[in-house]
Amino acid sequence: MARTTTASVELDGAARTATHDLILSLADSKRLLGMRYAEWILGAPELEAGIACASMAQDEWGHARLLYALLKEFDVDVDRVEHGREADEYCNMVALDEAPDDWAGLIAINVLCDGALTVQLEALRASSYVPLRQRVGKLLEEESFHAAHGAAWWRRFASASDASRTALHDAVQARAGDVLAWFGPDGPGARTLIGASVADGAGSTLRERFVEKIAPLLASAGLGDVFTNIEPSFESFEEARRRPHGRAPDRATIQRIRGDRNREFLMD
Amino acid sequence: MIFEVFARKSRGEPLRHIGNLNAPDAELARVYAFNTYDEERWFDMWVTPREHFVEVFNAERQNGDVR
Repeated sequence: MARTTTASVELDGAARTATHDLILSLADSKRLLGMRYAEWILGAPELEAGIACASMAQDEWGHARLLYALLKEFDVDVDRVEHGREADEYCNMVALDEAPDDWAGLIAINVLCDGALTVQLEALRASSYVPLRQRVGKLLEEESFHAAHGAAWWRRFASASDASRTALHDAVQARAGDVLAWFGPDGPGARTLIGASVADGAGSTLRERFVEKIAPLLASAGLGDVFTNIEPSFESFEEARRRPHGRAPDRATIQRIRGDRNREFLMD
Repeated sequence: MIFEVFARKSRGEPLRHIGNLNAPDAELARVYAFNTYDEERWFDMWVTPREHFVEVFNAERQNGDVR
């Protein structure tokens, strides 16, 4: 805590790289998450749920922009990062690579992926990296309503019928391992972030916080043991990109996110 | 279930009716109200099920009229 002064802390080489990687993974994940919410603006089970998806998509894209903008401090071409990368350069949570094919999948993403991002942000509340610390509070404020939306729908799924409970179980089970792995191994990058007080916890600590946080929801759906029985796999996991080597979100999604078609019509 | 939404601009102002929404329960009504009506800067916001309203009178109906 000695370094939580208002003056910006100069990050040295390794800490600087690890902080850049962390911000990029947060930003990419939020960008994909915003896309996943946006896909349900039309077609959600209630008009109000569609509006909620529109609102959450806006929030996530806003958060992503804000996080990408932070990368300017790291001598990165932010315009290229936002609009020039191919799918296999993205550093988003694997569980967001594919669009969920039903509403139970979207709610699983709402609770698990959005929830995991929140746990990671909470670990930056007292960050020694001031530009990050200054923005985290505002992001977390907006996140509280995403969590409320996920929790309310989760409980509806859990209590409605055997079929809805099964749909939720399947959606959670399909993503649980990838979400846990996203927090990362307690590798050199994570240790560097803790050493420099950029974050106050590494992969295993954040995983515990996450599981503890969603425990009441898991129990309400009879899913209490899902996360305790899963060991995240770090086979071919790239710590810097927080995902396994060789997997990528689908190209069509990335083209839409980058706004390729919009730019065909760009006029000066 | 229909919920009515109320909000006020600043402390001490009377609550203003700003709209309504459909939600299965109060928990989701709260979320939906925030998502739908938080474009403006409100001081506070409330939802209540429409069925909890008790009519006192209505000027268009005469005393004694049965609905």
